[in-house]
Formats: sequence, structure tokens, C-alpha cells
Amino acid sequence: MDDSASQLKKFQKELSSGTVSLVLLGVLAQSRQPLYGYQIAKRLEGAEGVLAGKQSALYPVLRNLEGAGLLASEVEPSVSGPPRRYYRITKPGREVLREWVAAWNATRDAVDNVLQGGVS
Amino acid sequence: MNAPRTIAEYLEQLRAALRGADPALIQDALYDAEEHLRAELAEQPSRSEAQMLEHVVGSYGAPDEVAEIYRDQEIKIQRALRPPPPPKRRSLAGRFFGVAADPRTYGALFYMLLALATGIFYFTWAVTGLSLSVGLSVLIIGLPFIVLFFGSVRVLSLVEGRIVEAMLGMRMPRRPVYPTTGMTLMQRIGSMFTDVHTWTTLCYMWLMLPLGIVYFTLAVTLLSVSVAFIGAPLAMLLHNDWLPGLYVDHQVTVNWGFGAHVPGWGDAIAMCVIGIVLLFTTLHLARALGRLHGHVAKHMLVPRAAD
Repeated sequence: MDDSASQLKKFQKELSSGTVSLVLLGVLAQSRQPLYGYQIAKRLEGAEGVLAGKQSALYPVLRNLEGAGLLASEVEPSVSGPPRRYYRITKPGREVLREWVAAWNATRDAVDNVLQGGVS
Repeated sequence: MNAPRTIAEYLEQLRAALRGADPALIQDALYDAEEHLRAELAEQPSRSEAQMLEHVVGSYGAPDEVAEIYRDQEIKIQRALRPPPPPKRRSLAGRFFGVAADPRTYGALFYMLLALATGIFYFTWAVTGLSLSVGLSVLIIGLPFIVLFFGSVRVLSLVEGRIVEAMLGMRMPRRPVYPTTGMTLMQRIGSMFTDVHTWTTLCYMWLMLPLGIVYFTLAVTLLSVSVAFIGAPLAMLLHNDWLPGLYVDHQVTVNWGFGAHVPGWGDAIAMCVIGIVLLFTTLHLARALGRLHGHVAKHMLVPRAAD
């Protein structure tokens, strides 16, 4: 039991490493205005599967995406609270997202196909 | 570990859980956590800090969980962003010449050349800012000037961190230290002066001028001497009639320590070999200096975690 739980955890960790980046890019591509970390975390709250992990895992991914030039960010002081770092998607980010979505769709379909016994 | 009741307590526990990790990683993790917690608090002002934190431990993660996530991420970043380590070469010759295949070498070499420009800028900025701060302190505009100057020093510290990380491969913080809240303006200004980090950064900016001059001189001199030596056979080959014309006594001579003579092909080949050895030694030196400077930058630009 304990062994299968740790296997599941390991699998989720591996599965999440690419999908979280994809989802974060997707969220920022759909949003009309720039979002800060907390807002993004709120939008993903209630999601299932690997996205249900701890929200602290999102911040390093956001920073890496920014480092790769797929996101841009700026700090703005807010009236009601602390200064916030707003992220928005960049032009190369949108192009990368289009390719990632295509890769994701192909992978998802292929995996579903295999799991439903399409390959024998 | 008992449940944190205030944001400060939470951050303290997170810092403790990250003890021993890279200071740059700790600074980033604390910044993220504080931003998230303060946003959470601002979202529902009616909740007390303790209630909010109870909720956050579930959603954002308890300090030790967060620490583990950041350590994990750091391993992934190292793997994804760093160029693959060059293959380990066993033989002495392989290790000596292998330096040319290491991308770090060229980053360090470029940094050595750039250091003169940035060094002059940092030095001028620090010395001008500091002396104007002292000079203007008797006037009413002195205070805002000092605050602006110290703010600019922090920004430059981050900028230099980015340069060092890109060229020397030393992990540096990507986020500044989170601005402390709940302090009056005067306390905030006061903390700028009592913060050791501000002063070590200023020292670093001052130090960059002499260091930059040394790095630049070393890089330019060693590179041009080795390239000139390597090119010796080429000069022999092209034509050696016009060459003596460049000299006052119309004669080029070489002296290996056994008396001067007019150089022949043997001398040219020997100089070429010396040049090649010198070039690779220079690359080794650049890589070693780059590594050394990375450590210096890390110690002076990244605030120590207050233990």
C-alpha cells in the first residue's frame, strides 16, 4: 500500500513537470490582463490530478518560463496590499504554446488510444 | 514543528527548512512565499493571520513541504538550464586541451573583457553617489537623494547577479529581498543603512574597478601574445623581407638565452608551439578566474540568511 502510494507520488511528479508549464502558459494566454501569482493559483484551485498539488510549486515554474522568455513580468505596487509581480505571455510564448498544445493533443489521444486497447 | 501563526513565523520556518540550500534559492523562495501570503491576507481582510495561515498550509503548502518543492525544482533548473558538463577526459593532454570545449571558458573570458566597462561604471556610480550623499546630507534634498542612491545600488546588485549567472554559471537570486512591511518610512530608510548587504554591495562595486582592470589586462595581453606567437610561422611564410624594415636597426633577432640570432624556421615553429600552450593556459586561467569571481560575487551580492 505504502509502496503504491509512493509510486503514485513519483508518477505525479514526473507527469506534472511539463503539464504545469503548459497550463500556466494556457492560463496567461487566455487572460486579457496580466495576472499575478496568487490570481493564477486561485484560477487553478479545484483542478484535479497533478494540478491539485501545492500552489508553491507554481512560482518557480513561472520564474523559469520568464527566464526562457515565454513570459514577461513587472512589479506593480497595489493599493490594498503588497507589491505584486504581474505576468503576461510574450509573443514567443504564444508560438511555443501553440506547438505545445499540438504536442499535448497528439500525446493525449495516443495515450487514450493505447489505454482503451486500441493497440493490440 | 508547530503550526505558524504569523507570516513572519511562517517565513522563519521556511528559512529554517531551507537551511543549507543555496542562498539565492532561499531568497527566491522567501520572496514567492511572502508575496503569496500577503495576497492571500489582502484577499479576505476579515480573516486573522492565523486563520489565513491555517488555510494556506493546505493550499500553498507547509514550510517543509514548500522547502522540498523548491529543492526539487532547483535540481530540475540545474539540469535544464545548464549546458551539459563536458565529457570527463582522462589523459593529461585531454584535460589540458578539453578546456576549449567548455562553454564556461568563453563565458568567463567574455566576462573578463566586459569587467572593465562594468567596473568603471559601478565604481563611478558608487563613489559619486556616496560622496554626493554625504555632501548633500546637510541640505533638504539630501535625504531623498540618499534613498534613491541606495535603492539604485540594490537594483545594480540584481543586474550584476544576472550577468554573473549568465556568464559564470553561478546561481544568483532572481528576485530582490522582499520589502519589509509594517515599518514606517523612517525605519525603512534606517534599515537600508544598517543592512550589511548594502555595504558589501557597495564594496563590490568599488572593488570591480581594480578587478576589472586586472581581468581586462590579463585577457587582452595573454590572448594577443599567444595569437602573435602562433602566427610566427605565418609571418615567416609570407615574406620576411619587409619585416626588418619595421625595426630601428633593420634586424629582427631572437634570443632564447644563448645569444641573439636572426630567426629561422625552427624558431618560428618553436614560437608557434609556445603560443598554443600559452593560449590554452590562458583559457584555463580564464575559467578558474571566472569560478573564483562567481564565488566573490555570491558572497558580496547575496545577503546571508540570518541564522
